[in-house]
Amino acid sequence: MSKLSFRARALDAAKPLPIYRSRDLPDLKDCVSINRAVPQMPTGMEKEEELEHHLQRAISAQQVFREKKENMVIPVPEAESNITYYDRLYKGELKVPKQLIHIQPLGLDNEQPDYDMDSEDETLLNRLNRKMEIKPLQFETMVDRLEKASANQLVSLPEAKLLLNEDDYLLKSVYDYWVRKRKNCRGPSLIPQIKQEKRDGSTNNDAYVAFRRRTEKMQTRKNRKNDEASYEKMLKLRREFSRTVTILEMIKRREKSKRELLHLTLEVVEKRYLLGDFTGEVLNEVTVPLAEKPVYTAPVTLTNGNRHKAELKTKTGLMHQVSIKDEFPFDCVRPKKKYSKRDKLYTQRRPGRPPSQYTVNKADIKQYDFHSSGEEDYTPPLSPPSEPDEENDPDGLFAFRRKAGCQYLSPHMDQNLGVLWEHPELAGMDALRHRHSLTALSLPSRLVGLGRRRMGRGGRVILDRASSGLDVVLKQLDPDAFASPVSRTRDINRLVAQRASMSSGVSSATAASSFAEILNNIQSLRWHCFRPRPAQHQVNEGSRMGKPSLDGRVTSSLLLNTKNNGSGGLSFTAGADNQQLVGKTSEIFFTSAQCAKCTLTSYGLHSLLQCSSTGTSRPPHSATLSHSGAGISGRVSSSGIGGPLLPTHSSSSLQSLPNHRNHVSAVSPAHHHHSAQPSAPSPSALKLATVATTLDHVPKVTPASTISNLARENHEPERLLNGISETTMAMEVT
Amino acid sequence: GTSHSELPVSKKSRKPLSIYLVDVVEGCRLPVLRKNQENEDEWPLAEILSVKEIPGRKLYYVHYIDFNKRLDEWVTPDRLDMKKLQFPKKEAKTPTKNGLPGSRPSSPEREVVSAHSTAGYSSQTLTCCNSKLRFVNIILSVIMWRKRKANCGGTDEDSQDSSDGIPSAPRMTGSLVSDRSHDDIVTRMKNIDCIELGRHRLKPWYFSPYPQELTTLPVLYLCEFCLKYLKSLKCLQRHLTKCNLRHPPGNEIYRKGTISFFEIDGRKNKTYSQNLCLLAKCFLDHKTLYYDTDPFLFYVMTEYDSKGFHIVGYFSKEKESTEDYNVACILTLPPYQRRGYGKLLIEFSYELSKVEGKTGTPEKPLSDLGLLSYRSYWSQTILEILMDLKPDNGERPQITINEISEITSVKKEDVISTLQYLNLINYYKGQYILTLSEDIVDGHERAMQKRHLRIDPKCLHFTPKDWSKRGKW
Repeated sequence: MSKLSFRARALDAAKPLPIYRSRDLPDLKDCVSINRAVPQMPTGMEKEEELEHHLQRAISAQQVFREKKENMVIPVPEAESNITYYDRLYKGELKVPKQLIHIQPLGLDNEQPDYDMDSEDETLLNRLNRKMEIKPLQFETMVDRLEKASANQLVSLPEAKLLLNEDDYLLKSVYDYWVRKRKNCRGPSLIPQIKQEKRDGSTNNDAYVAFRRRTEKMQTRKNRKNDEASYEKMLKLRREFSRTVTILEMIKRREKSKRELLHLTLEVVEKRYLLGDFTGEVLNEVTVPLAEKPVYTAPVTLTNGNRHKAELKTKTGLMHQVSIKDEFPFDCVRPKKKYSKRDKLYTQRRPGRPPSQYTVNKADIKQYDFHSSGEEDYTPPLSPPSEPDEENDPDGLFAFRRKAGCQYLSPHMDQNLGVLWEHPELAGMDALRHRHSLTALSLPSRLVGLGRRRMGRGGRVILDRASSGLDVVLKQLDPDAFASPVSRTRDINRLVAQRASMSSGVSSATAASSFAEILNNIQSLRWHCFRPRPAQHQVNEGSRMGKPSLDGRVTSSLLLNTKNNGSGGLSFTAGADNQQLVGKTSEIFFTSAQCAKCTLTSYGLHSLLQCSSTGTSRPPHSATLSHSGAGISGRVSSSGIGGPLLPTHSSSSLQSLPNHRNHVSAVSPAHHHHSAQPSAPSPSALKLATVATTLDHVPKVTPASTISNLARENHEPERLLNGISETTMAMEVT
Repeated sequence: GTSHSELPVSKKSRKPLSIYLVDVVEGCRLPVLRKNQENEDEWPLAEILSVKEIPGRKLYYVHYIDFNKRLDEWVTPDRLDMKKLQFPKKEAKTPTKNGLPGSRPSSPEREVVSAHSTAGYSSQTLTCCNSKLRFVNIILSVIMWRKRKANCGGTDEDSQDSSDGIPSAPRMTGSLVSDRSHDDIVTRMKNIDCIELGRHRLKPWYFSPYPQELTTLPVLYLCEFCLKYLKSLKCLQRHLTKCNLRHPPGNEIYRKGTISFFEIDGRKNKTYSQNLCLLAKCFLDHKTLYYDTDPFLFYVMTEYDSKGFHIVGYFSKEKESTEDYNVACILTLPPYQRRGYGKLLIEFSYELSKVEGKTGTPEKPLSDLGLLSYRSYWSQTILEILMDLKPDNGERPQITINEISEITSVKKEDVISTLQYLNLINYYKGQYILTLSEDIVDGHERAMQKRHLRIDPKCLHFTPKDWSKRGKW
């Protein structure tokens, strides 16, 4: 025991321990007690469990026998392990693959219902199956959906109908059964689930609550920021996906419409053939009244944003009545967003002013489109301070205010020569750009009055007419033109009425006989001719002053001018032909030396002279849409088509005129565009061409206009489709 | 003992006496008949934890004192030795009706440890109970005893609760509870009677938080492959038409012969991980399911046959352990126990640690079976190394503890404790030596002959991930 007197050093894990066999150390027994010097390591067990009878027995047995004895084993509860029906339960065999099994993380979720049918359900199914067929899986899916849709409250029957989309009888049977079963169910759900923790901490000690979230892990600020960013990205992604869905749906619709149109066209041709309508007379008779019908029913609508406020621009002394407040029945969907990336130039110039807004059936979009918070806080577009750019192109791509429920074709950019103020060479000569000229048509030859020619959407040539103090004089030249027109009483015209600037004054009936003739022509052929309507009050310059509206201001300015200038003489100028146009069109320029300033009343829509049968087959449109205004005007000047309305064309003297001399020039447009359609014509375009040729014997202009009616009516689907394709473009850009 | 001074009176005392003169209530102790492994009758002392009345008779949930909880069971009255009934000592504390959140009724087991020698149980027997009133009072005291709060008597040194009774959530790392903060009467008792899993029926050992409505079933059915729990055979049949798994839903990282290991990420495959944990909880007393499975990886060992890859056992492992744990929970399912699979699981866990280049240790506390298995594995592993050491140039072979640890990936402390347990460390002539006795050597050689199942490191296809570099587990 003397050996115990010294203290053993601590066991050093890094020190080599020599290994002896006991037989090599006969004197080992003397040093066994030393072993206590090494501190006893804990077993790692709970103390009281360590003392348990069976463990102690097992440990001591091992110590003694150095191996396990069967009866010294720790006893455990056991059950028999022979399930006789195992092979019937787990059907099929599995061949072991040669490679190690690798599982695809996403392949784990199959869309199988979590609910599993029990014997009770089977009884129901057997009963139901007498009347109808219902598969177990189908039943499980139904119950699964009902269960998952019922959080605290059971799904109601109407909700269930929405949820399940099954036959009514089946649905009712299953639903009633489910409600009953749910009531008798002891658990919170028919699909047994682990109890979830509650946020209030009341379940902190509930033994049946498991797998609580580890919430205490604080996120660092950086993480939170990342989360926010990813959240936003997800939102964006979701919205873009939803748009894609919308687009695809629209495409589907377009294609359907196309097919329908083709069928209808064929049918028309067939019917016409049967009737022997080779001249197109019958067609005309039928289609003209059709054209009168409003076109509101179309599903695809082009609308202007409703955010335009009435604007009045007086900077150059020209009055544009750009827009009126229209009550749009629906809003456009996020115009700003779509627009912003489409054309940066545009955006910068006119924030919040969408050039084109095709509203697809709003409900359709709504269902996929999710507004995210805070993202779309659009600022109501204020009437921005006028800038040079603004005046060049005050309203964006559309020179007019679009109306709810109306459909418009996009501007035919490559032919768009018409808008005077798009010509860069006129920069700085604002007065010139927006002038109205005295206008006459060559065929049918007649005098229109103050007018301004524009190229409208779809290549139509539009004659904006204005009234002025000169009307008295003009009336003498062509009294019929100033008589009550064959007016279209559309909404559009109401605008005209509201905005009507000046009365035509007293008409004197000294008109050239030829004009009367033309007028007859026009009337008989239902020429779309609108004239500026006289105001409600008898035109008395004084009385107009009191009107508080914009019109009043317009009028007053006009008044001044007319007074100062008096009436001017008129001269006829033969305009140049449109080289590429089929119709022989000539323009007469009425140049008035002392012409009053005109109000640009009917800014776009109202005096719509639809002369071309286009509006069809315009794939380039979608492309041109994305170009900025500058690009357009550039192209315009280079293209040979178009009217001779440019000041440079019409008369050189105009150019030299100082810009404070207001002069009025107008164009009579009537040109057909058959030849100007280089693109592959769609079926409808072909058809129109046919119609046009059949009508060849009729005076050129008139058939065209008729056709345009026809076109408008017949080509509705086509236009819609174009509209859609443009919508699509816009979305893609975004 | 202090025994009863004065017994509190309550209105709840008018309980009808059953066929037995004495009502055996929770907290009573008495010998209960049970068969031992040799199928002999034994009458170990047991405590009544719960009483339930089913039509016709009463059942008593008993815990055999000094036996593991897994042997607790419902017994019929005829197995109770009423003549030796002991009533629990009365507690002076005022009981609360319901345990406040965070209150911890200490386990009677624990009570045993502290009250063992102090004769805490009154030696009252049947003969004392002639007076009804007195008996009723005794019953009352029994009820109160059961509901007493934990902070009476000795404090628990391993308690991690704040002492002021504010509920505290358990620590968020690890998978085992060492404190008994949730050891109330609910979790003390098994709640599932029987589980059917594939070809096997299993008798759960401990409580598991399966949905409560399923706890009344005579048999809970589990899908053998996805481990989904179902209330009936019919449901299982239906489920099997939809479930096409024939192996655990993870990547197979090891295969030799019919044995395979699958790795499952507790975050990516929550459903399976949770189902696995629920099943494992039936056999692991200290396992906690308090928190989600996200920070764990699950290694499931399977045995292949023509029907598929059948689960044999598993261990879980923290993706990042701050305490060198290389195993969180480990379990061989009962039908496969005592056949070397447990050691195989342990061996595999150390093979993973070897690939990672780390030493590791199982998370504590160990269970009795865990301790035996680990000790056995460590012993064999260390002895294998020591016996293989050859004399070097006639010099006596020697090795450091650190070297053993590095070779085996067994943590240093575990190496030392094993050497101690095997009684190998001796102090001889001024230095520590390792001595291999005859019976150690013989015992080891016999054991190794029986150890057929071994892990072949060549069959392991495992690349450790650095979880610390990931944002989340």
